[in-house]
Amino acid sequence: MSDFMTRVLRRETHSPRSGWSVVAAILVALAAIYALLESVLAALGQPAWLVHPLDALTWIADLPGPYPQILLGAAGFLMALVGLIFLGNGLLPGRRPRHVIDNPRVAIVVDDEVIASALAKCARVAAGVTREQVMVVVSARLVQVNVRPTSGIRLSEQKIQAAVESQLADMELDPRPAVTVKLASSGVIGV
Amino acid sequence: MNGTPRGLNRFLLSLIGLILLAAGAGLIVLVAVPSAATWWQNYAHNQVAWLRDYAEHSRLILTSQSWVWFGVAALLLVIVIVMISWISSQGNGRANTLLDISGTADDDGAAGAVRLSCAVAEQALKSALLERTDVFGVSVTSYDFRQQTALKVRVLPRQGVSPHLLAHEIAELVVALDELLGFEVPVVLSIGSAARSRFTKAERVR
Repeated sequence: MSDFMTRVLRRETHSPRSGWSVVAAILVALAAIYALLESVLAALGQPAWLVHPLDALTWIADLPGPYPQILLGAAGFLMALVGLIFLGNGLLPGRRPRHVIDNPRVAIVVDDEVIASALAKCARVAAGVTREQVMVVVSARLVQVNVRPTSGIRLSEQKIQAAVESQLADMELDPRPAVTVKLASSGVIGV
Repeated sequence: MNGTPRGLNRFLLSLIGLILLAAGAGLIVLVAVPSAATWWQNYAHNQVAWLRDYAEHSRLILTSQSWVWFGVAALLLVIVIVMISWISSQGNGRANTLLDISGTADDDGAAGAVRLSCAVAEQALKSALLERTDVFGVSVTSYDFRQQTALKVRVLPRQGVSPHLLAHEIAELVVALDELLGFEVPVVLSIGSAARSRFTKAERVR
């Protein structure tokens, strides 16, 4: 696989952070536009709209001032929390719930939901139960198959596991997840 | 695969996050530690007094106000422009031309240019994929990424369709497209789940 394709696949499996970027840009732009208004008013010698820039700076220099400590502490905590969210979005890898299927010609990415629904169908056929009795959760390195048997009919865990594993091996996913099958201890009646 | 500046996104988000985190942590320290509060008030009041003094000295004749405020306004204007161009750079990079070759008379006997629109490849793939019954929706778009035009195919299959079988059949379609065009276009296939396929009942005919 060429360098171009590996780059494309990395972009497809990781979040671009566009949403948070737009939110951050709008917030910063609004704050800057307000400050721009006040500084232009100050430059022209007009009365300030809400507060003169120098008075605002003095207010900041006066902190903590005569305000309730709890309120200021809560404001600081909130500000730090929002900052932490932005920082986390900037630094964390941001993997999308997707897997790569190896192919020499085409770069292929599959949403985990599609893999889950295909594996659920496979497990359902192997166990001979209805659609509602199977739930599959796919994460980066683990496939969890939860089956609720029909009351009075014994299911073979190994058989389901083998069926799901062979289907998963056919998919040739990267990263390759491990399979765990869980049979519920209580069955369902009337399906 | 579009032209979203991911490195810039992460850098600016980290920068804004760090500034907010530092301001919030500083405010908490000011409230919690009285000695820090007195140090801050001393330090900050000195700075504000210096600025007030400087603004008094640097008044312009024309407006009888300091030029400092014009400088601050210009800086803020730059920030606003940077923010707007940051927003507008998200998700661009769509391509129109797939191939552009100009031939000369002594090269292949005819002077002129061959220009293939991206719509050629897009329509060919899309019409082939729309015939399939196991697929709800198809969209094919082309992007310029790293000086190369690439096709992005987004396919929304029905529930329970094996993604690898679908992928290999689409890869065969792409090989057929290569033969049709005469050259290889980089293709990215993204198989996703549609909201519509989640709410439909169990498959009856397959």
